[in-house]
Amino acid sequence: MKSEPFVYHSPVSVEEVVSLMNEHDHAELVAGNQSLAIQMNNRLATPDHLIDLNDVDDLAYLDERDGAIEIGAMTTHNTIAESDVIDRKLPILSEAARQIAGPSVRNVGTLGGGIGEADPAGNYPTVLTALDATITLTSESGDRSVGVDDFFIAYMMTEVGENEMITGATVPTDPFPIGRTGMSFLELKRVSHTWPKLSAAGIVRVDDPTASEPTVEEARLTFANASDTPLRVEAAESAIEGTSLTDDALDEAAGIAMDSADPADEMQAEAEYKEEQVGIFTERALREAYDRALDQ
Amino acid sequence: MIDNTSDRPTQEITLTVNGNEITEEVEPRHKLSDFLRYRADSTDVRVGCEHGACGACTVEVDGKNVKSCMLFAVQADGSDVLTSTGLNEDDGLGPIQEAFHENHALQCGFCTSGFIMATKELLEKNPDPDREEIVDGLSDNICRCTGYVNIIKAVEDAADRMDTVSQATGDD
Ligand SMILES: Cc1cc2nc3c(=O)[nH]c(=O)nc-3n(C[C@H](O)[C@H](O)[C@H](O)COP(=O)(O)OP(=O)(O)OC[C@H]3O[C@@H](n4cnc5c(N)ncnc54)[C@H](O)[C@@H]3O)c2cc1C
Ligand code: FES
Ligand code: FES
Repeated sequence: MKSEPFVYHSPVSVEEVVSLMNEHDHAELVAGNQSLAIQMNNRLATPDHLIDLNDVDDLAYLDERDGAIEIGAMTTHNTIAESDVIDRKLPILSEAARQIAGPSVRNVGTLGGGIGEADPAGNYPTVLTALDATITLTSESGDRSVGVDDFFIAYMMTEVGENEMITGATVPTDPFPIGRTGMSFLELKRVSHTWPKLSAAGIVRVDDPTASEPTVEEARLTFANASDTPLRVEAAESAIEGTSLTDDALDEAAGIAMDSADPADEMQAEAEYKEEQVGIFTERALREAYDRALDQ
Repeated sequence: MIDNTSDRPTQEITLTVNGNEITEEVEPRHKLSDFLRYRADSTDVRVGCEHGACGACTVEVDGKNVKSCMLFAVQADGSDVLTSTGLNEDDGLGPIQEAFHENHALQCGFCTSGFIMATKELLEKNPDPDREEIVDGLSDNICRCTGYVNIIKAVEDAADRMDTVSQATGDD
């Protein structure tokens, strides 16, 4: 099926995008079009105006600042997957980008589109939640920053307001010193081009990787597709903090995570099965993150 | 089909397809895949799912592969587009096409032009991929006939052929 007719705009600056959004009712932004095209074909999205962000060069950036990395909304999955800086400082983000579909989707799909789409199974919402990122939103009245916790409101619903756009994300790097931090992003999926049934992001920082039993100083644990919005399980994080990731601590964390999950039934993955997998993925993601923290 | 007889708004765009410049009026909602098949005679571009899932419509736009069913033709205005027939050489098939042919990497052939474009991008980035890298490089494309074994063989063979060609011509 073809989408409904629309008028196409290709602005070259953020200001121009913002004024086009204000000028036109029923306008939709398009980034990589790897999600929107499907919705428009199915007529689940029927914009009268389509505002293309691909010529707005100012939205495609990747900057290392003091204690943070800033990533523009139009930065592609491929750029994130291949960035040396991200691979060094926030390896979980490149690991997650590399696992999205195949090369031709990664050539054009973007960070901003992944956040704006807010699919419960999406890779970025979950990883950015684990990294405690901040999203920058821009409108006629200027910029505002929204923490990930407040950004993902409900099933495919975000804090992005009417006539507002995502311009970028700021990801802190200070909590994750290289040399004693490990990160792991794991997906449950049968073939690589499909969406995962479940994903887990685990991050572990230890006190001293050379100690005989390094202690977990800080942990992060989040899931995609285990509920309607990215699920962070702080109680499970606390359960392993201060331990040397003993089996007992991992068991406890897995139990807590399973209790917090509220997954939806879907084809080939019933809720009960996903819940069970949350426990298994808790252990695998945290174990891999811990091992990576020691192995540097 | 692309049909401009309705009173819906259209827009003029110019694309270079396999070296030929083409200017046409299109509706913004028409996909690049529609443009290529109906306005550029590039029926080697196949439309399987029109949902980004099968990769049959894969073409190169300004040096990067995209699924042409996921891009509106107006978005490609001014671009240089290459489809699988653009890989033909003066005296016949190019090395990737030849490798698919000789390794029986197709049965019905519906997926083949997409796989050939995926192979081109893969080998440009990585001239000597291992099996796992081949599987990842082709992971946007689906074949419902072959079981992939001969497709993977064809990619390995294409890599060898291109390596021989570049050694003979002194490129790296
Ligand atoms: C076969 C296939 C498999 C996939 N598998 C995965 C997967 O495993 N994991 C995963 O995470 N994703 C997956 N994706 C989706 C892919 O990551 C998309 O690229 C992404 O979800 C949307 O990004 P986009 O740039 O294409 O956005 P678009 O499709 O262009 O836009 C998506 C939505 O976000 C809005 N939007 C875009 N940019 C902005 C902005 N700057 N400000 C405000 N709103 C904006 C749009 O209006 C639209 O509503 C898959 C896609 C395909 C085709
Ligand atoms: S037709 Fe474009 S991906 Fe299937
Ligand atoms: S040869 Fe028939 S789909 Fe691949």
